[in-house]
Amino acid sequence: MTLMCNFLRLKLIFIKNDYFSSLEGTFLKWISFHFLFTGEQILLSDNASSLAVQAFLQMCELPIKVVCRANAEYMSPSGKVPFIHVGNQVVSELGPIVQFVKAKGHSLSDGLDEVQKAEMKAYMELVNNMLLTAELYLQWCDEATVGEITHSRYGFPYPWPLNHILAYQKQWEVKRKMKAIGWGNKTLDQVLEDVDQCCQALSQRLGTQPYFFNKQPTELDALVFGHLFTILTTQLTSDELSDKVKNYSNLLAFCRRIEQNYFGENGKGHIPLRLA
Amino acid sequence: MADKSFVGGIREPRQGLVRVIRRGRSGWGGGRVALERSEVSPKLAPHFGFRLSEAERRGGGHFRGTRGRGGGKMAAPLELRCWGGGWGLPSVHSESLVVLAYAKFSGAPLKVSVIDNTWRGSRGDVPILTSEDNIVSQPAKILNFLRKQKYNADYQLSAKQGADTLAYIALLEEKLLPAVLHTFWIENDNYFTVTKPWFASRIPFPLSLILPGRMSKRALNRILLTKGEPPHYHLKEVEAQIYRDAKECLNLLSNRLGTSQFFFGNTPTTLDAYVFGFVAPLYKVHFPKVQLQEHVKQLSNLCRFCDDILSCYFRISLADG
Repeated sequence: MTLMCNFLRLKLIFIKNDYFSSLEGTFLKWISFHFLFTGEQILLSDNASSLAVQAFLQMCELPIKVVCRANAEYMSPSGKVPFIHVGNQVVSELGPIVQFVKAKGHSLSDGLDEVQKAEMKAYMELVNNMLLTAELYLQWCDEATVGEITHSRYGFPYPWPLNHILAYQKQWEVKRKMKAIGWGNKTLDQVLEDVDQCCQALSQRLGTQPYFFNKQPTELDALVFGHLFTILTTQLTSDELSDKVKNYSNLLAFCRRIEQNYFGENGKGHIPLRLA
Repeated sequence: MADKSFVGGIREPRQGLVRVIRRGRSGWGGGRVALERSEVSPKLAPHFGFRLSEAERRGGGHFRGTRGRGGGKMAAPLELRCWGGGWGLPSVHSESLVVLAYAKFSGAPLKVSVIDNTWRGSRGDVPILTSEDNIVSQPAKILNFLRKQKYNADYQLSAKQGADTLAYIALLEEKLLPAVLHTFWIENDNYFTVTKPWFASRIPFPLSLILPGRMSKRALNRILLTKGEPPHYHLKEVEAQIYRDAKECLNLLSNRLGTSQFFFGNTPTTLDAYVFGFVAPLYKVHFPKVQLQEHVKQLSNLCRFCDDILSCYFRISLADG
């Protein structure tokens, strides 16, 4: 099954960096944002993480240049996409990127007090613990999805037999990790139930507010947006995962709001996938 | 047949015995005999050593240690198998402690059977809750099961507080649990002087030679697979990272707790059970290598929190142990 988007190769997007010439003492010229994004290669969990980081950088109003490479996973210092390349530093994954950007003077969570920061960290761990793990489970441990989608996508840039070998190796690694954290014996239904519980918690926390910490978005909003949007817009072998998210209307409204504000037609950036 | 009254190893005085339990109806814990007076012929009653009073027949009665929540709860006898206690704690194993604490908070009558060095019972995947026809094995699942049986410690929480509970539990599992596992199972001084002898003394030979090693490998595996990714190529760097994370997590918990007695007001909930389960072993067990313990001791509200729970809810075990 193909993803809903039609991209074959993403063109580079370069945003003029006049913004920074007026700031004093900044180190950032532009941030080169790398991820695995061709229409045929990227997987659900990587896409979610990449979108989260992209949303965060957009929220910080930092100019970014998006670069796609088939081997971005190997270029990254921690083996995970996405990563950013600034000057001569390379930082990967949302947590370290947030800290790096904060060290350079841009932060979304300065206005929060200690208790709220603790809550924000706790909710980010919840999303990583449940949503990301569920996505990994679905991609690599559910036989139907593995056979139809994951193997072919993961091995896409490589010739036979390397594509099969790498896909099996990655699957073995992920299964080992699942077993170590106790998800090895879970059935798909239990995983979906966990996703539902997580979405319910997020929905209750969000309530009727525009963002999780009222008026201003924070990295938590970026992370939640990345995962939920990807789940909603990726077509898998069945729609159960996205149905779980669709049950919560305030989460849907939240995703649309962020898409419009930060990825809209005003040219700030774009997302390759459209909301169904 | 004659010894049915002592099922579960309860040695209670024979006279005035308030042990009668209606079969399958009340909320009494497992293992004790459920016999109605009418089921026992008058000739045999003295053998069982009990007299039924009017109050007992009406479904009242008590026995030492229950919460006395009374009838109306439909529950089969519940038995929990877990690791035992020491250093003032009812259990030294974090996950077992979480379940024990939750059971106390919600009033679930659990019959606790501690793993000892006989060959009775299983030792894998502990804690394990057994009821009539269900066997439930991980703390999250056990707590869910107890909630379904109407032993709910969270009924006073709002929806948002319930969501916060889930989030904080995820934070504990991601940030604090690796450090707890490391302190118990991987740090060599701690493992060889404290953990291994303690667990080995509670496992029958020759399993005592194998099982602690296997548990240690499983802990190491878990840490390396979840935290040991590049750029941390060396175990030392992973260790530094997980202790940093754990200290930050403890600070966050301390900030969140503030000066209140429990995390959500004055009654303990699931989150309190989890925090107690993870922090109390770090606080109480005497280890040679104590960097995280020092940090916990500096956070006086967390120490006060653990001590409060131990003295209010585990007084009986403290008196015995």
